[in-house]
Amino acid sequence: MKTIFIIEDDHSICLELKRLLDNSDYKAIIVENFENVFSEFRNINPDLILLDINIPKINGQLLLQKIRQVSNVPVIMVTSQNSEVDEVLSMSYGADDYITKPYNPTILLLSINAIFKRLDNITDTQFYNGIEVIPKKGLIRKDDKELQLTKNEMIIFSYLLSNKGLIVSRDDLMTDLWNNNEYINDNALTVNISRLRAKLKDIGLDEAIETRKGLGYILL
Amino acid sequence: MNNLEQLDQKYLIVEMLNRPNFYDGQILYESLYEIDKSMNENVRIYRDNLKEFKDFLEIWVHEAKLPLATANLILHNQKGNNDTRLSLQLSRINDNIEQVLYYARSEHSEKDYLIKEANLSKTIASVLMRNKDLLLENKIEVIIETIDTIVMTDSKWLEFIINQIVNNSIKYSKNDDDSFLKISLKENRDSVTLIILDNGIGINDADISKVFEKSFTGHNGRSRQTSTGMGLYIAKNLCSKLGHHIAIKSQENKFTEVSITFYRNDFYNVAK
Repeated sequence: MKTIFIIEDDHSICLELKRLLDNSDYKAIIVENFENVFSEFRNINPDLILLDINIPKINGQLLLQKIRQVSNVPVIMVTSQNSEVDEVLSMSYGADDYITKPYNPTILLLSINAIFKRLDNITDTQFYNGIEVIPKKGLIRKDDKELQLTKNEMIIFSYLLSNKGLIVSRDDLMTDLWNNNEYINDNALTVNISRLRAKLKDIGLDEAIETRKGLGYILL
Repeated sequence: MNNLEQLDQKYLIVEMLNRPNFYDGQILYESLYEIDKSMNENVRIYRDNLKEFKDFLEIWVHEAKLPLATANLILHNQKGNNDTRLSLQLSRINDNIEQVLYYARSEHSEKDYLIKEANLSKTIASVLMRNKDLLLENKIEVIIETIDTIVMTDSKWLEFIINQIVNNSIKYSKNDDDSFLKISLKENRDSVTLIILDNGIGINDADISKVFEKSFTGHNGRSRQTSTGMGLYIAKNLCSKLGHHIAIKSQENKFTEVSITFYRNDFYNVAK
């Protein structure tokens, strides 16, 4: 399980952020004392850091510079400082992403996920119940049977796959589609999901995607 | 007197006078000097106050965004809550807060923007994402033509500007099934124009020339939901600071089209 270190001084944000990350199968640890934030970082040795700019004792950007001297751990700046200067500075100090508050929680999870995928060098091809999923080509393959998915169907399937066993809401799927510049509406989402189901059935995966009434979908 | 004509701050004229060598003139000179000094001090007090107020506003805006961020997380963490009503209201609060921030930024002569290369499609994507729930709820189809181009701008300011325009398109849509929002691009040799078109209720001829004026609400603002009449005013102000040109065309009950032109200035190329 990946460990995410939350460096943020607003207590209520920390708690909700931890809940969000814990629910998404990450282990989230909140900073305890800003005096020792750097040594806390070294003890925890996290897989990723969510770092605010306005924190007590030390400025987030300075802390980032200090961290970069010893580590390449991915850092996402999460801040209400919505200015180009702060973003440019943060990126030049070696931040991996810059997200402004208030953010869409799904987007935050997507960008964490994207960083881990890149880092773990997850090759394009993924496997699911004996089928091969090749997002770049929009293909799913089982034995010698191949099926072509549309871009939207593949976005939906990939999202379900990377959240396998977790309930995914329609809004999560919609957010990921819009995040990929596919600005579809509710009806189109429904249509895409039923087409995806039909294609999975074709390749021998009947009822892989279950509907959880009032909650969303789950890939088992 | 010639000197006075040329001064843009005429109260500084005393600084340019030689001290007269006759008694009456000296008294007048001393008096003027004292009067000017006291006025300068007064102006300074107001300038400092304004600066302090603006600094406080910036801090306040950042503080105000924290509970919003928490509220968004709380809503998201309630699994099975597919009700967007609260998050829509939160996003309205966020938009209103940003308007204050950018009003302060646009009125202040200080330069707190940074012009660099920015990808238009990225900025538009974040505006659309911000308005996703509203666009979906109002059944407004989003049509994006090729907008993948680089312009010189401050992408945060630009995001605010485009957000004002898209907000208006949503606010003044016709609420029917054919509503759309179309974003396209026109590239010229020395400029790029971003075109944001909707088929909403439009703006009547009497109002169209005034939409960029401060506090102008017009017919639409009065007949529909609340409007401060500040959105487009601030947008125009920011555009002129950034060196972009903003224009609007409309036909009542047919369409509204806002265009922003980015100039491909040679200066930027040299600076690069």
